[in-house]
Amino acid sequence: MLARALSGTVFGLDGVRVEVEADIADGLPGFHIVGLGDRALQEARERVKIAINNSGFEFPGRKVTINLAPAQLPKEGSGFDLAMAAAIVNAAQDRGLPTDAAWLGELALDGAVRPIRGTLPIIAHLDRLGIRRFYVPAGNVAEAKIATTAPVIGVTHFRQLKVHWDEGATLDESPMVEPMQAVPPTQHVDLAEIFGQPHAKRALEVAAAGAHHLLLVGPPGAGKTLLARALPGILPPLSQREAVEVTSIASCVGMLPAGGGLLEVAPFRAPHHTVSAAALVGGGLASPRPGEITRAHRGVLFMDEITEFRRDALESLRQPLEEGRLAVARSRGHAVLPGRFILVAAANPCPCGFAGDPRRICQCTPLDRQRYHARLSGPIRDRIDLQVLVPRQPAGELLRSTPVAESSAAVRERVLRARQRQRERRPQGPLNGALTGPQLRKEPLAAAGQALLEAAAERLQLSGRAIHRVLRVARTIADLDESSGIEQGHIAEALQYRESG
Amino acid sequence: MDRSPHPDRPPHAAEGISSNSVVALGDPDYPALLTQIHDPPPRLYVKGRLPAEPMIAIVGSRRATPYGQRAAHRLGRDLSEVGVVVVSGLARGIDAAAHRGALEGGSPTVAVMATGLDRIYPPEHGELAQAIAQSGAVITEAEPGTPPLPGRFPVRNRIISGLSLGVIVVEAAQRSGALITARMAAEQGRDVLCVPGSIENPLAIGVHQLIKDGAKLVQTVEDVLDEFAELSRARARAQARVHARTRARTRADSGPQDPELLAVWELLDWVEPRHHDDLAAMMNLDIKEVNRRLTMLELSGYIIGDCGAVTRAS
Repeated sequence: MLARALSGTVFGLDGVRVEVEADIADGLPGFHIVGLGDRALQEARERVKIAINNSGFEFPGRKVTINLAPAQLPKEGSGFDLAMAAAIVNAAQDRGLPTDAAWLGELALDGAVRPIRGTLPIIAHLDRLGIRRFYVPAGNVAEAKIATTAPVIGVTHFRQLKVHWDEGATLDESPMVEPMQAVPPTQHVDLAEIFGQPHAKRALEVAAAGAHHLLLVGPPGAGKTLLARALPGILPPLSQREAVEVTSIASCVGMLPAGGGLLEVAPFRAPHHTVSAAALVGGGLASPRPGEITRAHRGVLFMDEITEFRRDALESLRQPLEEGRLAVARSRGHAVLPGRFILVAAANPCPCGFAGDPRRICQCTPLDRQRYHARLSGPIRDRIDLQVLVPRQPAGELLRSTPVAESSAAVRERVLRARQRQRERRPQGPLNGALTGPQLRKEPLAAAGQALLEAAAERLQLSGRAIHRVLRVARTIADLDESSGIEQGHIAEALQYRESG
Repeated sequence: MDRSPHPDRPPHAAEGISSNSVVALGDPDYPALLTQIHDPPPRLYVKGRLPAEPMIAIVGSRRATPYGQRAAHRLGRDLSEVGVVVVSGLARGIDAAAHRGALEGGSPTVAVMATGLDRIYPPEHGELAQAIAQSGAVITEAEPGTPPLPGRFPVRNRIISGLSLGVIVVEAAQRSGALITARMAAEQGRDVLCVPGSIENPLAIGVHQLIKDGAKLVQTVEDVLDEFAELSRARARAQARVHARTRARTRADSGPQDPELLAVWELLDWVEPRHHDDLAAMMNLDIKEVNRRLTMLELSGYIIGDCGAVTRAS
């Protein structure tokens, strides 16, 4: 007797259709799973067998074989448990399993259905293939409903299906469950909470408005981390499409809280400087699992102490900085993962941290400093349009009653208008931070601005790439100023955010 | 003094070619001033050609502040422009700044090393040593192959002062190599001159002590040239430049014409860098406007931007 139940898995970030076939035949009693399953899948035999027995069914005492098709695709994880159980009990006794339905979920020994990773991209893919009914863990219903308009049935226990099949009880369509844990409290800092630092705050505003990468240079304790954490709060809200991308990624890596729906806030990722290249890029044997770069997609990647990162980890930033995506090759397959983020890098001015501090003497030799700066390679520097010095705040300043600084909400308004202007100019095209040389040359530049830029290039010995960086930043400053052309004043301001020696 | 040729003198030493050569005490090429000290080195290994023009030494801390390096660079350049040979020790910080300034000025400069000619120390000054040997000389009394040994440096310092009419000290901590050189200079009967620093700067303590002890305070190249009769020719050359520089200084001292730029410039200092944030707070001005004005000042040469903090340019 044979039965089939549809299920799915993720490869990279894409959903893949997987057909679960169960066969019960005469022979020695046993339970076999074939079809390139990993260790977790082999262990599913115990879970599924016990869960079936604990849900009012009887696991057949004959030879049970499960095949996962397509057989050549490596499969991992516990998301096939529900489909296997459904196929087995229908192979034992035909209960009229619907052919246009898909089953996702992990089983507990008592038959309870547990949430799984990757529900959103799997359902989105199956929906495109014409599946019209989804049985998912109750905890994944909210994200499943983002991906499909078809009925989504939240299953909390395998026993519900026994009652449904044997007694004809209707299953509640998509009962909503309370999120098991609240969305983590936002780590975002409001700009109004940061005292002083107008230069760095303005650089944050420009970074947010044009999606420019930013380098904060300053001694330890100057407030670089606080500033970086304020950036997500002034970014525009995610569009529907971006939110689905971000939620899909969170779903695939298991960062979406159970019961959680669409994520609407830009992510903020701050990998530690000991992180490996594989953890940044993404790893995993069978299927490439998104790393920190992809988790920061559409948000902020904050790399504190960027010069302390491993060389190979830093170099792995090059492709996403250039292309906004990441090609990952693993032994058993390739995947292209998204990775379009705003990089906020922070570094000390020199190894000891005191260069430029009028009150302390820097103990570093010029060679020390040269080596320290060389750790950030040219191709990465070329992509960082904005660089500011964040000075240490004297203790007295911090304790003084502070004048109220502008709030993130007010800055965000300006950022939104600047983004709007960019979209009107290039509905499909890149934001200012990703403009190329030829695109920059087409931007209207006032004669006085041109003259100033030429004078600066001469006097400050700017390279061609440095001039492009100044122009990109000036374009954003003009957008913040609601000016269609780049004026002299915009160039003048932009020059103060340039990389310094 | 003994002008007869030294029997051991290598034949090519007198030909002034810029490969390595050895000059022994008693050779006509041996620097005359150096023979007057009580323990002149028996032989000098020379890469390049030892210039015959009068020499002035500039020494100071290896961990110099930007201010100290600017001062050393400027004095080196100004001395070199009027034909004075700048002598220093090829070390990091003040020494390197003085050599670089001197190269910019166009006259030869002399680097006195404590290591063998084949062991440039610090290693990152290999190119600088090359540039120095092109027109001037890199010299040492150490045998080829001598590594940087701590004991060698104070001994080397007696050659720096011995070659020179006087020694200018720019930034020296208490108990530093630069102070040793100053002391040796005084023992050798050379004049010691000092560039003052901020009273808050620990590297100025040694220098200020020298000034209290009677060393001459140096602000400009004229202060140096006035001190030495031997430099009268250089002083005459400098006279011509003084006028132009005074004019430039007056301009720099009075700041920019534009009242908006002047308002920013007046809050700046020649030594202590000021951050953009401080200027915005002091002027109660939007940071965008501060940044715009700073660019204008920077491009017209009134200020120097360094790592996000600015100082006046002089």
